[in-house]
Amino acid sequence: MLASGLVTLAAGLAVGVSTTVGYALATGYDRAAQSSDQPDVLARFAPVRRSALDARLRRLPNVVRISYRGEVNRVGLAANGRSARNGAVHIVHGTRRGYAIVDGRDLSSRPGEVLVERGVATAWSLRVGDQLQIGELGGLRIAGIALSVDNVAFPLAAVPRVYVSAAEVGRRFGREHDPVVNVALLWLADPGRLDVTLSAARPAIFGLRTEQLLTRRGVRQAIDQAAGVVIALLVVFGVVAAACAGAMLAAAADARVRRRAAVLGIERALGASRTQVVADQALDAALVAAPAAALGLTAGALLAIGPAATLLGFLNEVAPGAALLGPMAAAYTGLLAVVAAGAASPAWQVTRRPIAALLRGGDLSPPTRRIRGGARPALLGARFATARRGRWLGSVVVLGVAIATVLLVLAVADLLVALRDDPGTLGRRYALTVPGVRSDLAAVRAVPGVAAADQRTTIEAADSFSLTEPLRVIAYRGDHVPFEAPPLQSGRRLRSAGEVEVGDGLADALGVRAGGQLALQPVNGRELRFRVVGVVRALENNGRVVYARSARFERDDPDLGGPIAVRLDAGADPGDVVRALAAAGFAGRASAGTTTSNRSFLGILATVLRTVALAIGLVCLAAITQALALTARDRRRALALLRAGGASRHTLGTLLGGAAAAVLLPALALALALERLVLGPIVARLTADYATLPLHPSGVGLAVVGGGLALAGTIVALAAARTATREPVATGLGRADG
Amino acid sequence: MGVLTALLRVRGLTKTVGEGRAARRVLDGVELDVQAGELVAVVGSSGSGKSTLLHLAGGLDRADAGTIELAGERLDGRSERVLARLRARHVGFVFQAFHLVPELSGEENVRLAARFGAHGAQAPARVAALVDALGLRPVARSVPAQLSGGEQQRFAIARALVNDPALVLADEPTGNLDAESGAVVLALLREATRDGRAVLVVTHDAAVTASADRVVTLRDGRLCGER
Repeated sequence: MLASGLVTLAAGLAVGVSTTVGYALATGYDRAAQSSDQPDVLARFAPVRRSALDARLRRLPNVVRISYRGEVNRVGLAANGRSARNGAVHIVHGTRRGYAIVDGRDLSSRPGEVLVERGVATAWSLRVGDQLQIGELGGLRIAGIALSVDNVAFPLAAVPRVYVSAAEVGRRFGREHDPVVNVALLWLADPGRLDVTLSAARPAIFGLRTEQLLTRRGVRQAIDQAAGVVIALLVVFGVVAAACAGAMLAAAADARVRRRAAVLGIERALGASRTQVVADQALDAALVAAPAAALGLTAGALLAIGPAATLLGFLNEVAPGAALLGPMAAAYTGLLAVVAAGAASPAWQVTRRPIAALLRGGDLSPPTRRIRGGARPALLGARFATARRGRWLGSVVVLGVAIATVLLVLAVADLLVALRDDPGTLGRRYALTVPGVRSDLAAVRAVPGVAAADQRTTIEAADSFSLTEPLRVIAYRGDHVPFEAPPLQSGRRLRSAGEVEVGDGLADALGVRAGGQLALQPVNGRELRFRVVGVVRALENNGRVVYARSARFERDDPDLGGPIAVRLDAGADPGDVVRALAAAGFAGRASAGTTTSNRSFLGILATVLRTVALAIGLVCLAAITQALALTARDRRRALALLRAGGASRHTLGTLLGGAAAAVLLPALALALALERLVLGPIVARLTADYATLPLHPSGVGLAVVGGGLALAGTIVALAAARTATREPVATGLGRADG
Repeated sequence: MGVLTALLRVRGLTKTVGEGRAARRVLDGVELDVQAGELVAVVGSSGSGKSTLLHLAGGLDRADAGTIELAGERLDGRSERVLARLRARHVGFVFQAFHLVPELSGEENVRLAARFGAHGAQAPARVAALVDALGLRPVARSVPAQLSGGEQQRFAIARALVNDPALVLADEPTGNLDAESGAVVLALLREATRDGRAVLVVTHDAAVTASADRVVTLRDGRLCGER
């Protein structure tokens, strides 16, 4: 009963974690969109009088409501000792806002109020009532924390965003009867007819400079760009964990019914129909499983909700809260249904046999072939474990799939940490950066351990045709490939100053492909046009990057600067090179794998993945425990017989260890094969957009999983042996094997 | 015989089975001595506590009260580890249902028991000798499902004897056998006493009681008659 309860508890825990993570992540965007009253269309224009814009947009079909904002970018924000120069201030017009208030209250007619985006509030530890310094607006009191789902949260999104009322701006700078706006939020009567509205919008806004037309679906795609693959993986892993847990529960229920064959025979002998017996068994199994399943589900939800909520926070999405109760109730019902079905199916099979056979109990035919290996306890244990072929195979498959999933989850988590910490993962080959100017290059290259050095310039810019589509230019004087070589998705590497490679995020956003043109508008400078020769997979700035030679940018700005990227000789110790650079008068710093804004995001993704791995690991542990407990229970008399002959607890432990090995070793082999041949390649293809590392478990990961399984098998075998030796030998001898 | 030190000495043995209203005292102050070289039969009606007495004497179960001394060592109050060692060294069991491990051949069942004894490197030779002595060589590699009841019980006896125990405890050893096989088994048990072994047999079989040195009767939890 205890083992069965533990199995149900572990299965409940795995399902609880899976349901929480899966539901929270799969529905987070829709929940946030609904709570924030997200508009169906968000359009950005060049600044225009509201009346002029309104006159055009009012004519659009299917539109029920329009609100306007004035968006002012590159505003200085400061609070709580934190500051940013690239803040975005949204001046809010109208009553329908397109954001949700998650703390405090909305902007009112009171003076001196500001709303800050949730990501900014979290990153800068801001609370309602705090003061925020906003460029020329000066100090404003934070009235509330807002959530808007049209982008990922700061700092994953590079721009911190705040909202002020048009009245507040009017108070400071003079009220305008017909203010200038550049953002329109449109709500449709029938979102399903969005295409009709968009078709009509193009001629309606002809003549206005439209910078961005963002639909709900477009927003979702943009957010998926940030974490879609990993979230999809998390959901898949959750489903795998739930499936394994279900299979385990069904196996436990099956074993329970088969042990009670004699009882079923008595019920049949007393006149119960097969249907009655089967229904009784199903109900009985469900009732027995109910408390442990509830406890496990609750524990799983509590374990997962924190990391999942943090992850959702990064994506500007909303944790499910009470909405999780529905899926949890469904999961609970599903668990009990699996248990009931797991009991009903064998009960139906068992009761097909003659009642007299049932009354004799047991269903294991004695073997007619001798096992190889003779009378060694470990081999005997292995034979005991494999005696019931169906159950053994089921245990091996469940464990194999679960272990393969754990290996894969750990591999993905390792990859994320590598993305965070290891420059090489992103195709970045320089290990150090050195503040310096062009004339320092020769001196840096002369430092021992330095293989190559070049100035790495980053230039903030925008697409000339979509000015609010910010992008980052990464420019080297020479070839960038020796320093960073993000994998090519299509096309080729750039060969001249007139060519660029673009990141996949930017390619998707602008619809540019290899062979196309890219018109860049640097923040300070004139427009430059380049030929796009390749699309690369890049994580930096969400893939919204451009790799170029710096020559053409230097023509406009001869003083263009940036740190010197330093690539080390093979085998050179970065610490030694930093010291050598210091001796030469340069302050070398290690290069991080991703931008600072992405680091914590990748960290939390890895944490969520490891939480899922832990839940699946618990499924593995429960599966081993179950397999061994069932073997020990089936072979109770044989174990008692060995004890009668003088076998010690240690001998029984060896025997049960052999039984554990008979399940674990083939399961591990199956897991390695599955991971390497099936799951790994599939997931690697999915994540290939981001990573250059092969997606296979590291040596440490394999050692952890293998060692963990060996330890778990040993502990479970010893515990089962301890349980077996607790009862008097005579009691065990009185029980029938099988 | 009375002046000899008993190989098995049981004093004031009490055992209750069941709980609450179903509780029943099956042994109530049992006193019994069994000498080396003696074959003692315990008889009594079904449920009189015969098997319970056998289990307690072999350290397979724990008594509520009383003492058990086997080959000079007390069994009562000992840890499971010590009891396992004492069983391996001093006791061999024969069961009515044979209780051979079904996955192992007859000889391997004997060899499995030999792993727990003190023969060490000589154990395989000892196993082979016993299998030969009991006429089981032709079926030594057969698994229990391929053996007759008599053959299974002879392997069970070989298993009980393989570690040269001082005491053999047999629970209805002929109960599942035909008369011919039962006679063979009885002869083997009788033979076992010739080496100075004691054999305590629980039985309903008149042939066994006829062959026993002593017959004790268990009634209402007490040994009340002796022949």
